[in-house]
Amino acid sequence: MRASKLWPVVRLAVALLFIIPVYWILVLATGYHGAVYHLPPVWVPLFHWAPMVYVLTHTHWMRYVLNSVGITTATIVLVVATSALAGYALAEIPFKGQTAYFFLILGVMMLPAQALLVPQYVVMFHLHLINTYAAMVVPFAASTSGIFLFRQFFKKIPVSFGEIARIEGVSTLTYIRRVAVPLAKPAVATTVLLTFIASWNQFQWPLIMTNSPQIQPIELALSHYMQAYEANWRELASAALIALSPILLVFGFTQRYIVQAVAGGDLNAKD
Amino acid sequence: MMPRPVSIDSSQPDSRPKPHSRSVTRQQLRDTVWGYGLILPSLLVFLIFFYGPALFLAYIAFFHWSIFASQSTFVGLKNFTTLLHQPIFWQSLLNTAYYVVAVVPATTLLALALALLLREGMGRFGGGFSRALIFLPHVTPVVATSIIWVWIFNPQFGLANVVLHFFHVPPSNWLESVHWALPSVMIYTVWHSVGLYTILFLAGLASIPRSVLEAAATDGARGWRVFKRILWPLLGPITFFVIVLATINTMQTFSQVYTLTGGPHGGAGGPAFSTTTDSLLIYQTAFLYLHFSLASAMSLILFVLILGLTLIQKWFADRFVFYR
Repeated sequence: MRASKLWPVVRLAVALLFIIPVYWILVLATGYHGAVYHLPPVWVPLFHWAPMVYVLTHTHWMRYVLNSVGITTATIVLVVATSALAGYALAEIPFKGQTAYFFLILGVMMLPAQALLVPQYVVMFHLHLINTYAAMVVPFAASTSGIFLFRQFFKKIPVSFGEIARIEGVSTLTYIRRVAVPLAKPAVATTVLLTFIASWNQFQWPLIMTNSPQIQPIELALSHYMQAYEANWRELASAALIALSPILLVFGFTQRYIVQAVAGGDLNAKD
Repeated sequence: MMPRPVSIDSSQPDSRPKPHSRSVTRQQLRDTVWGYGLILPSLLVFLIFFYGPALFLAYIAFFHWSIFASQSTFVGLKNFTTLLHQPIFWQSLLNTAYYVVAVVPATTLLALALALLLREGMGRFGGGFSRALIFLPHVTPVVATSIIWVWIFNPQFGLANVVLHFFHVPPSNWLESVHWALPSVMIYTVWHSVGLYTILFLAGLASIPRSVLEAAATDGARGWRVFKRILWPLLGPITFFVIVLATINTMQTFSQVYTLTGGPHGGAGGPAFSTTTDSLLIYQTAFLYLHFSLASAMSLILFVLILGLTLIQKWFADRFVFYR
């Protein structure tokens, strides 16, 4: 009896261990000046926001945040569009080559990303995309998991809906936009969330594809900032907190859906 | 697949005059045009940015090739033999092997243990909430959280040594030590990724029929016996999947190695190249030293290694995993 009362406590204790590093960012970022060098460490956040304000106003940090917001938004819009279109084709339109496309998508899932970086750089170079915003958006404008997700939801829509639309003379594109996609809201939500996380967290791709600070997304800027300002840990932690907070906010409100999406076999989230 | 008016007509071809079968073809043509039209945007992205580079990789690896030169010369296996004579290449393979062999079993076992811990009391306080907390690290941006881990691993003021001191264990130099730099990266990786695999195990546990567990309970099976005789065999497929996924992911670790062991101190790769893994070496060779052909040869080797490991694991799974 007593053991069963104990389990929730054990669970919570173990879970709290996992977010200590995230909590520690808050402690370091908002502690008093020099608190990072204090032994034993100060364990509570003091909510001094001055270093955060300094980072936001005295560095180009706003610019990097906006870069990330722009890149992420564009990627999400494109991924939802291309996934809905291809998902509809795979679910509703019988055409020769459907199976082939299915396997082609599976193949993309199996290609190891690290092994492709060098030739991908060459392709981007020849397309004159190095150092452009497009370089960070276009290659991620299609998502294998997004296509499968939309296909799965479109298959559940009753066939009669499509037939009525055809009799009424509604074009395929209008039907997808006005009927099919609104009926597949969970697919839209999952695709938006997973694309947001993947896109906001991008690091290696922008590291290779850009060298101009003007267009850098936040993670890359953070890496450069780290190398330049490592002495000032409070500002560094503030910058890290700025990069982290959108993810924390979104995850806080939608963790249930994100966990479900991942458990449902969506494995495209990468390090 | 879909019952359309035309396909109903085509099911009785004898009673229909010839021109109608042409309208079936027209419908098929329409479907083909729309089908390809709708997949075109994603197809182009996959072909240009994934399949194209994959083919190109094989090409560059066998050529002496520079991005700035207009011509390239075929050199056969020379890029590969050059690699084999470079000690750093062998060290990167060893580092990667060490990293994979340590991280994959550690994450898999820890994820399984966490999933068993979180299994009961779903939705209750401590269930869904704890699950979210354990999964949270996986969605955090690697550079942002690596920064905090660099400070945690700080030899003088870091939390890691404070914890060691509490347990009366002698302190470590962590990221600045030749022996502990790579294990420090491993600790970060386990922290960052174990939530993903825990969720997968939880999904596997949830798919085990209640009746099986109830039958076991009726027969008096408890604790360890339930795990060994029921849960573990039934989790076989998901365990296999987790191991394959973890292997593929750890073989390609880049961002945390770059961030944790980079910086102004030693340059990425750790003290005495102790954290130079394959993907880091590919990055340095191609984008710092601009040896694209050598980097491509390395990439091709990595490609083959990952594919080979996946196939070997599949071979094992076919023999030892119990698929329902």
